Amino acid sequence: MNVAIKMTGRLYDEIRQDLERPHPFAFERVGFVFGKIGTASDAGWLVLLTRYHAIPDDHYIDDPTVGARIGPDAMTWAMQAVYHGRPAREGIFHIHMHACPGETGMSRTDAREMPPMIPGFQSVGRDAAHGIIIMSLDHGSGWVRLPGSKDLQSCSSMSVIGTPVGVFDRTGERS
Amino acid sequence: MTAGRFSRQSFLGKDSQLQIARCTIGIPGLGGGGSHTVQQFAHIGFKRYVLYDGDVTEDSNLNRLIGAESRDARAQTPKLHLAKMMILGLQPDAIIRGYACKWQDNPEPLRECQIVVGAIDEYRGRRELEIACRRYLMHYIDIGMDVHGEERPVIGGQVILTSPGAPCMTCMGFLTEEKLGAEAARYGNAGARPQVVWPNGVLASTAVGFAVELVTGWMRTARPYAYMVYNGNDATLMPSKTLKGLERHVCRHFSVEDLGDPVVMAL
Amino acid sequence: MDYPEPQVEELKRYCRKLGAVQEGGVTFYSLEGLCLPAGCDPPVCDALLCPTSRDQYPSRLFLSVKVKSPYDRNWNRENARIGEKNWFAFSWKVEGANLTLAQILTGHLLGFTKPK
Repeated sequence: MNVAIKMTGRLYDEIRQDLERPHPFAFERVGFVFGKIGTASDAGWLVLLTRYHAIPDDHYIDDPTVGARIGPDAMTWAMQAVYHGRPAREGIFHIHMHACPGETGMSRTDAREMPPMIPGFQSVGRDAAHGIIIMSLDHGSGWVRLPGSKDLQSCSSMSVIGTPVGVFDRTGERS
Repeated sequence: MTAGRFSRQSFLGKDSQLQIARCTIGIPGLGGGGSHTVQQFAHIGFKRYVLYDGDVTEDSNLNRLIGAESRDARAQTPKLHLAKMMILGLQPDAIIRGYACKWQDNPEPLRECQIVVGAIDEYRGRRELEIACRRYLMHYIDIGMDVHGEERPVIGGQVILTSPGAPCMTCMGFLTEEKLGAEAARYGNAGARPQVVWPNGVLASTAVGFAVELVTGWMRTARPYAYMVYNGNDATLMPSKTLKGLERHVCRHFSVEDLGDPVVMAL
Repeated sequence: MDYPEPQVEELKRYCRKLGAVQEGGVTFYSLEGLCLPAGCDPPVCDALLCPTSRDQYPSRLFLSVKVKSPYDRNWNRENARIGEKNWFAFSWKVEGANLTLAQILTGHLLGFTKPK
């Protein structure tokens, strides 16, 4: 079963512009992006990203042991957004960027810290997909937990429907 | 991928062939317009296709169906088969998902495309396809031609590019309630529409040019929408006057609420 | 266009489940299990009511199937794709100013049983 992510060029630019901004103390920025699901062929799924939320500077916690750490205010906001998104079946994705070219994956810290967030989102927004997206300088990777699933599934591709079009296929070959 | 074959289109950018090869093109309709685009996409190097057409080749198609020969009309070769052979003859490693039906009968594969090129006969069909492209985030390029007037026939047509977030075909003044209403009133009495190969060629080539620009960005300008009006009698293709003032226009016909599978809100 | 809640509530009398779906800037009322007039086959089907002008009709009722009715109708919309489903509609104009949603709906249902 394939899962693919799509977003508009405008949203991609908005996300990149925010994630590339320096933060007063965190080494990197993180954000939340929202998405709705669509059925694809062969029992596959699409995640169509709708809007981006830039996490305010003061919602970060100063923790030099990690690239960025967000505090309880950011998580509370996220949970409320998932709750309000329930009628529209809109889910939430934690997103950040690795400043390198090519296909990227979760670092050890990412793999330890981010997946545990997802069940909480799913418990509030059961009919939506939630997950994790990591961008690189010229690529993007995603992991999605579909409604009713307990697994985080790796996305087969990410498309930017902009001018120009970007297609980021997942090959498993990490940069 | 041999370097030589595409050396004449290297101006499209150093990674252009990779970008082209990764893009999935959807073509719902492989008739006079669609068959032209298939041929050109294959030449350029596109390798991923989602195709729809349930029709077979008939004698009356041979004046314009690219890839068809006289024997195909005798054999009633499916148009889908002709398209596949054209593609595979140039791109033997192409991934082609072909469906001998209308796209509405099996819509899910189309949603996985990045660009859809439609050569649809009817305004309502265009509206439906544009809605699907907005819902599932795809650029939509529409082509169409018509011949009107009996005393002095006039060949007209259009190429329209509409993208998620940009002005839609209604914003651009192409789809109107008047046209849709007149079409509904004529339902069942439309008859065979005049169709000839050379306007199809002009329109299809322009559409393919838009698609290549979208994929490679070779012109280094962002063009998320376009509406070119074709006059076959004057041999001109000009931007529509209805585009005036749309530079800052925000489309109110589609929003992020419309993305993804429709959600019926209980009342 | 927003309709007053009493009008929306009134629609519930005609179907098993009422909802709304947006598409292309238009709101359609989704009527699951709409009861059709006597003589229709099937007697119940799903429907979408578009209470605003569409295709130069003041309003339209789309059905999930092509319904057989006592009088032949001109089904000039077949496999109309709305909300990612296919729908059918016959040519029928419901005219009148300031009609309620229920009046629009019953006006369309009359189309099944009224000779032209």
